[in-house]
Amino acid sequence: MSGAVGREAVFPTRQSLGLMKGKLKGAEIGHSLLKRKSEALTKRFRDITRRIDEAKRKMGRVMQIAAFSLAEVSYAVGGDIGYQVQESAKQARFRVRAKQENVSGVFLPHFESYTEDSINDFGLTGLGKGGQQVQRCRETYARAVETLVELASLQTAFVILDEVIKVVNRRVNAIEHVIIPRTENTIKYINSELDELDREEFYRLKKVSNKKQRDVAAADLEIQASREREAQKQLTGAADKETPDAPDVLGEQEDTDVIF
Amino acid sequence: MEGLFFNVNNGYIEGIVRGYRNSLLTGQHYSNLTQCETIDDVKLQLAPAYGDFLGALPPNPSTSALAGKMTDKLVAEFRYLLAQATGSTARFLEYLTYGYMIDNIALLITGTLHERDTRELLERCHPLGWFETLPVLCVATNIEELYNSVLIETPLAGYFKGSLSHQDLDELNIEIVRNTLYKNYLEDFYKFITTHSDLKGTPTQEVMAEILEFEADRRAINITLNSFGTELSKQERRKLYPEFGKLYPEGSLMLSRADDIEAVALAVSISADYKAFFDAVGLTQGGSGIGGMGGNSDGKSLEDLFYQKEMEMSKIVFTRQFTPAVVYAWMRLKEQEIRNITWISECIAQNQKERIGNFISVF
Repeated sequence: MSGAVGREAVFPTRQSLGLMKGKLKGAEIGHSLLKRKSEALTKRFRDITRRIDEAKRKMGRVMQIAAFSLAEVSYAVGGDIGYQVQESAKQARFRVRAKQENVSGVFLPHFESYTEDSINDFGLTGLGKGGQQVQRCRETYARAVETLVELASLQTAFVILDEVIKVVNRRVNAIEHVIIPRTENTIKYINSELDELDREEFYRLKKVSNKKQRDVAAADLEIQASREREAQKQLTGAADKETPDAPDVLGEQEDTDVIF
Repeated sequence: MEGLFFNVNNGYIEGIVRGYRNSLLTGQHYSNLTQCETIDDVKLQLAPAYGDFLGALPPNPSTSALAGKMTDKLVAEFRYLLAQATGSTARFLEYLTYGYMIDNIALLITGTLHERDTRELLERCHPLGWFETLPVLCVATNIEELYNSVLIETPLAGYFKGSLSHQDLDELNIEIVRNTLYKNYLEDFYKFITTHSDLKGTPTQEVMAEILEFEADRRAINITLNSFGTELSKQERRKLYPEFGKLYPEGSLMLSRADDIEAVALAVSISADYKAFFDAVGLTQGGSGIGGMGGNSDGKSLEDLFYQKEMEMSKIVFTRQFTPAVVYAWMRLKEQEIRNITWISECIAQNQKERIGNFISVF
């Protein structure tokens, strides 16, 4: 994998090496932070999923009861009151307040339901017959809508969290599998290039010093040679003047014994 | 004496209605219906009684479609009776439709108040409450016009007169208008059956007076119970009580002063029947509050008991002869039957079988 990510296009200098090292460090810190964020979000996400499951089951039950209470109303009133209720309802009795909740930097909307008890637009519906059923049906449906509001707030949070978790995970993975290896590669590359340069430099210096030694040696030889030549010259001149062959006193030849 | 010439004009109608009565579902039918698993099964079970009307329904129809078709049958049968009726019987049958007219007019007034397209409202009107000038109501664009030029042309004009002016239509809750009209209607109907020369002293007067008195009392009690916790004042409430019935005048007065269920129970205790109802649903003990009114342990609410009583009275009407009151009784029974079937099919459709037996069957 790391082989495929390549490296960044930088000049292998010591400055960029420093930069890259800083970058690597930053990436590692960012990676661990994002990882933790993702974990926190996932935890929340699981919690929400569980609550959605519960809310959906509850909704199923509540809606069934509500639909049944509507059947009771139509039985008691003996007709359709839908239109009448529609027309006489002017203001919302059941209202929803939206709030924002901050979960590790993600704003989740949270809906809160409440009823305005002062508003009772169709309180007189079914006055002649079935009024109690109508009111009870309204209460049942209010409870059903409450569950729906709860579910809506959970679902919205679910969608938003899902999106955010995907983004965060993508970032975590990108940092883990692309940015960090690439930066490491770059550092390795810079290091190897710098080593290469070092070795070249060393070799060059060695060569230079070798050459210098050779030169010095050659110069020494020459000097010696010239000195020898001069000495030869002097030697030959002196030999001409004095006895050329002084007997070697330390030589092998037998001396005559001296007797005292 | 009244039997002597009754059949000359009305014998055919009575015969037809008694035939209709025999097609009402019995307890056996209902127990078959409650065994059904799907709406299609219900449809199949209903085939002998409603066959030709339910035939057009698609497979697994909605309960409202089913109820609509059953109502269509009732309407068709009633229209046939109305077409056959003459004289005071025709008048009597027209009285039966006024209740539906009140509902229709209330619907149209609601629509006009909110400036809806009244044409689509006409489709929602109950077919039995249809009268010739009903579509004309759509012409009116504001309440004043509706009142001055249109409502006075309707058969219900008399009920508006004297008790409601066009200012009232603007401000009053439509529910109060409806109940005022209904009160006037009941009183007028009562007057009709007790004073009309053809009906006075006949079995019609006897049975209808009893039924209407019960209806009036039921309305008074219901209005009182339902008005608790609403902005309806006691004076306004009192105006909605029909001025006859077993509870009138002492009981009505006590009802108009009632603040809670105990007071209502006290007011109705002058009639043994209603007292028994209140005892049965446990409202006299008090403490249960509004929430307890819906039903008690065996699932019967006060409304159920009233319906039960109404059905029994309607059933007894068929023991009398020479009276158009059988038409009234048949209509009530048929309506209850439609409600029962709707309830059963709702229970089946929503898979809530535990309360499926909560219908009222008297045969």
